Amino acid sequence: MRQSNRIGGRIFIGLTFLFLYLPIFLLIIFSFNAGESSAVWQGFSLDWYAALFRNRLIMESLYTTLLVSLLATVVATAAGTFAAIGLYALSKRKRDALLVVNDIPMMNADIVTGVSLCLFFVAFFQGWGAFARWFNGVQGVVALPERLVLGFTTMLLAHIAFDIPYVILNVAPKLRQMDRNLVDAAQDLGCTWMQAFWRVILPEIKPGIVSGALIAFTMSIDDFVISYFTAGSSTSTLAMRIYSMTKKRITPEVNAVSTLLFLSVLALLVLNNVREIRQERRAASLEPRAPTLLEKLSMKFNQPAYRWVRRGLAGAMACAFLVVVVLLTGATGSQPVVNVCSWGEYIDESLIEQFEDETGIRVNYQTAESNEALYSLLKSGGADYDVIVPSDYMISQLLEEGMLEELDYSRIPNFELIDRRFRNLPYDPENKYTVPYTWGTLGLIYNANMVEEEPVSWGALYDDQYAGDVLLINNSRDALAAALLHLGYSVNTTDEEEIREAFALIADASRRGVFQGKVMDQVFQKMEGGNAALAAYYAGDYLSMLDNQADGVDLRYVIPEEGANWFVDAMCVLKDTPHYDEALEWINFIASTDANLANMDYIWYASPNTEALERYPAYYEELYGEELDPELYEIMAAPPEVLERCEMYSVLPPETRALYNELWIRLGA
Amino acid sequence: MSKELIRLRDCVMSYGDELVLDHINLYINDKEFLTLLGPSGCGKTTTLRMIGGFLSPTSGDVLFDGVRINHVPPHQRAVNTVFQRYALFPHLNVFENVAFGLRIPKADAGGRKVKLPEREIQERVMEMLSVVNLKGFEKRPVSALSGGQQQRVAIARALVNRPRVLLLDEPLGALDMRLRKDMQNELKRIQQEMEITFIYVTHDQEEALAMSDTVVVMDGGRIQQIGTPEDIYNEPKNAFVADFIGESNIIDGIMRADGVVEIFNRKFQCLDKGFDKDEPVDVVIRPEDVDIVDEAAGQLKGTVTSVTFKGVHYDTIVDFYGFKWLIQTTDFCPVDSRIGIKIDPDGIHVMKKSAYSGMFGDYSSYSEEYEELDVVEDESQEGEGDDPWEDGYEE
Repeated sequence: MRQSNRIGGRIFIGLTFLFLYLPIFLLIIFSFNAGESSAVWQGFSLDWYAALFRNRLIMESLYTTLLVSLLATVVATAAGTFAAIGLYALSKRKRDALLVVNDIPMMNADIVTGVSLCLFFVAFFQGWGAFARWFNGVQGVVALPERLVLGFTTMLLAHIAFDIPYVILNVAPKLRQMDRNLVDAAQDLGCTWMQAFWRVILPEIKPGIVSGALIAFTMSIDDFVISYFTAGSSTSTLAMRIYSMTKKRITPEVNAVSTLLFLSVLALLVLNNVREIRQERRAASLEPRAPTLLEKLSMKFNQPAYRWVRRGLAGAMACAFLVVVVLLTGATGSQPVVNVCSWGEYIDESLIEQFEDETGIRVNYQTAESNEALYSLLKSGGADYDVIVPSDYMISQLLEEGMLEELDYSRIPNFELIDRRFRNLPYDPENKYTVPYTWGTLGLIYNANMVEEEPVSWGALYDDQYAGDVLLINNSRDALAAALLHLGYSVNTTDEEEIREAFALIADASRRGVFQGKVMDQVFQKMEGGNAALAAYYAGDYLSMLDNQADGVDLRYVIPEEGANWFVDAMCVLKDTPHYDEALEWINFIASTDANLANMDYIWYASPNTEALERYPAYYEELYGEELDPELYEIMAAPPEVLERCEMYSVLPPETRALYNELWIRLGA
Repeated sequence: MSKELIRLRDCVMSYGDELVLDHINLYINDKEFLTLLGPSGCGKTTTLRMIGGFLSPTSGDVLFDGVRINHVPPHQRAVNTVFQRYALFPHLNVFENVAFGLRIPKADAGGRKVKLPEREIQERVMEMLSVVNLKGFEKRPVSALSGGQQQRVAIARALVNRPRVLLLDEPLGALDMRLRKDMQNELKRIQQEMEITFIYVTHDQEEALAMSDTVVVMDGGRIQQIGTPEDIYNEPKNAFVADFIGESNIIDGIMRADGVVEIFNRKFQCLDKGFDKDEPVDVVIRPEDVDIVDEAAGQLKGTVTSVTFKGVHYDTIVDFYGFKWLIQTTDFCPVDSRIGIKIDPDGIHVMKKSAYSGMFGDYSSYSEEYEELDVVEDESQEGEGDDPWEDGYEE
C-alpha cells in the first residue's frame, strides 16, 4: 500500500515536472532545428541563432531591454535600500503597515499596474502640455517641450517603480536581522551616519541588496505587460518584440530568442540561489576556515596599498557606464530619425537597414494590430509616429479628422512610378496625402482537402456543412463585407436594414456553430495546419500561407462570384510631425521599384509600382530559378477584370460605424 | 577623586507626554567609576545615551569639561560605549572590530582629515587585545567567540580609541553568573589600569556595590540617591533605595526625640537625629541586623511563618502584629515558634516619609518579591515607547 502510494506520488511529481518543463525543453530543441517547422526535426543547426543576431529589430529591442533593466535595477536598488532603511527608523506599527503597502504592487496584476501607469503618464503629459504652453506663452527665454510622449523614459520610470518593492522585500529582512546598536556603535567609534552606512550597514545588508538587485533585474528583463503599456509606440523590449513576432506564426527565430531569454533568467536565478546557499553555509560554519582563492584575492585587493588601484577601477567602471549612457542617449538624440508604424510582417526588414545605410536616418519601426488599434493609439496621444500605413477607409477617416499632413510630392519623385490605377482613389481624390504601399483583395481561402466542392460563393462561410471549420475574421468591417456581398448589397451601404440583415446572417451561423472562432493573425496557424477549412482573408496572406502549409493541406483562394473587397494600404504622414523631411525620404525610398520588388517578394502583397508589377515575375525567376506560377501572381495582383468585380471600402458615417460597433459587440465572442 | 568631567544640569527628557528624565542633576568626576542603578524604565539608559550623544535632552545641559555638548554628535565626543549585547560588527574579524574606530579618518588640529598610519593601528590594537586577554584571537570571526570573549572585544574596541569616558550599558547582562563575577573584577582592573572614567549602567545592585566609586540610584526618571556604595546601603534616603539595595524591612515609625524612634508602640534607640518631634518616618531594618532572642527577652515578639535555608544563613519570615519581617540569621527557628528580637541602635535607620512610603518592605508576599528581583530586565529600549527595533535580534 505504502509502496504503491510512493510510486503513485513519484509518477505524479514526474508528470507535474514534465508538464512544466517539457514545453520549454521542446522550445529549446526546436530553436536548433534546421528547418522552419516547429513540429518536425530536420537536423541540427545554429542558423536561427545566426539569423537572430543579424536581426536588427531584435538586437535593438535586446539592447533596450538590457538598458532599461540595468538602469532600473541600479536606481531601484539604491532607492529601495534607502527606503528600507528609512522604514526601519519608523515605529513597528507604521513599518508593518508600509511593508504591506509595499507588498501590494508585487501582488497586483501586471495589467492593472501597466494600465494605471499608462493613464498616469498620459494624464501627466496633458497637464504638462497645458503648463508648458502657458509657460512658453508668458516668456520667451526658455522653451519647454509642449508635447511629451510615452517612450523609453516612461518605461524606465515604470520599471523602477515596480522594481523597488522587490528590493525592499529583500533588504528588509537583513535590516531586521541587523543589530540596531551596530549603527550606534559605528557612530560611537567616530563614524558620521554616512560613514556608518558605508562601513557597517552596507556590508551587513549587502546580501539582501545583491539578491534584491538580481530579482529586480530578472523582473525587469521578464516584464512584458507593464512595458507594453508604458513604452509607448516607439520603444520595444525583447518581450514585446517576441510578442509581435509571434502574431502570425511562431518561427524558430522566436524559439531561439526565447531560449536565450529563458537561459539568462535561469542563470540569474541560479546565481542568486547559489549565493544564498553559500551564505547560509558560511553562517552555519562559524569556525574559521581556509579562505578560497577568490577571497584571498579580494583580501589582497582590500589592503590599503591597493587603494588607488581599487579607486581607479571603480572610477573607470563608473566612467565606462557614463560613456555608454551618454553615447546611447546621444546616439538616439542627435541622429535623424523617422518613426514608422506598419503591420506585422509587412516589410522586408533588410530595406530598413538599407535605408539607414543610405541616408543615415534611423528608422524606428513599430507595428500595430489593426487599423482600428492604430486609430485608437493615435487618438490616445500615446503614439509619436511619423509615417503610418493605414488602409483606404481609415485614411478617409483620418483625413476627415484632419490628422494627416499634406505631402510635398516634389520630394517624392518615385511617386511617378505609382500606377495610374492607384492614384486619386476615393479616399484621397486629389492625391495630396498618400503614397500607396500595397494593394490586394479580400477573398475566400479554403482547404481543398476539407471541402466537398470548390466554394464559389461567400455563402460557404455560413454553410452548415462546414460547421466548426469556418474562421470568422475578427474585424467587423471585413466580416460584414462578406455577408453584405453575399446578400447582394454594397460593402459601403449605410442602410440600417441591410446591415442588420447581414449581421443576422453572421449571428445565425454563429448560433448554429458554424464558426470555429473569431481570428485575425491566428488564421495562419489554423489554415496552414489544416485545422480549419474556410476563412475570408487577404490574398497576400494566402500566398504567405502557401509557403507554410502542412502536408495534406491544399489551400486555395477564390474571389467569390458575388464580388469582393479590394483595398489599398497607403503611406501617410501624421500632422505636425517633427520629422517631416525624414518621413518624405522614407516614403520615397519605399516607393522605389527596388523596394517594391523586395517587399512583394517578402510579404506577397501586390505593389502599386508599375515597373515592379511588370518586373516581378522575372525578378522571381532570377531569384528562385523557377517560373512564377501565373495563377498565383494573378491572385497576388488581381487583373483589372477581377478588380472590376471588387469594391473598395469607403469611410462610413459615424452613425453607421456606431451601428457596426453595437452589432459586433452584441455578436460577442 | 579629582576634578569634575561631566555635568548634567537640569536635564529633562520627554517623549510627548511621557517624562523619561525628570530634572536630572549629576556630576561625574574624572577617573571615577560611576554606576547608574535602577529598575527597568528608570531612565538610566536614557541618561547614558544622552552622555554618549545618541539623544539630546529636551531641556537642560550636558557639559563635558565645562563645554556644553548637547548637540555634539556621538562621533565627535571623547566618549566610547560598550553596548548591550556588544554590537560587534559581524562582517569583521576580531582585529578589524577593534581597529574600526582607528581606521576612521579624524580631523587634525588644522581640520584636515588624517588617517592613522597602519603600523600605529597595528600596535594599538595588539596592545588593547593584550589588555583584555585576547591575544591570538585577532583573525577569528567574532561570531566564533564565546559571550565573554565577545564582551572583551567590545571593551577593547571602545578603549582602543583612548576615550576620556567609557560608557557601559549593562555589559554583563548577557553573561552567566560565574563569568559575570570574573568580568566585574576584570572591568575594575581595566578601569584602574587605563585611568579613565567609567559610567556603568546596571539593574544589578550587587554589581553596582561591588565595582563603583559612586552609585546613582534612579527610579521613575529621577535620581533617588547619589553616594558611595556604603552610603547607599547603610543610609538609604527613602524606601525605594532601601528596598532596591539589598533586603530591607521598612516599618512605619514615629520619631519621638533625637535618637528615639517608636515602632509598634515600642521605643527603640537609634542614631538618627534632626527630625521634628513626633514626625512620622520610615524605619529601615536590614535583615542581618536583627538578633533573634528568647520571646521573653525580645524587644518585639512574633511568630515564625517561614524558614528557607540559604547556605550561610536562614531566611526567616516572622510575623509581628500582622507585619512580616525578613530576618537573616544563622540560628534555626522552626515554623510557628514564638521568638523575640533585639535590634542595636546602629541597626536602625530612620528616613523621611516619601512617595515610596508603604510600597516596600513588607515580606508578606515574600516569594513574589524574590521573583521580582530575579527578573532579567531588558532596558535597552527604555523610554522609547513603541520601539521599531524590538524584533531586531531575531536570527
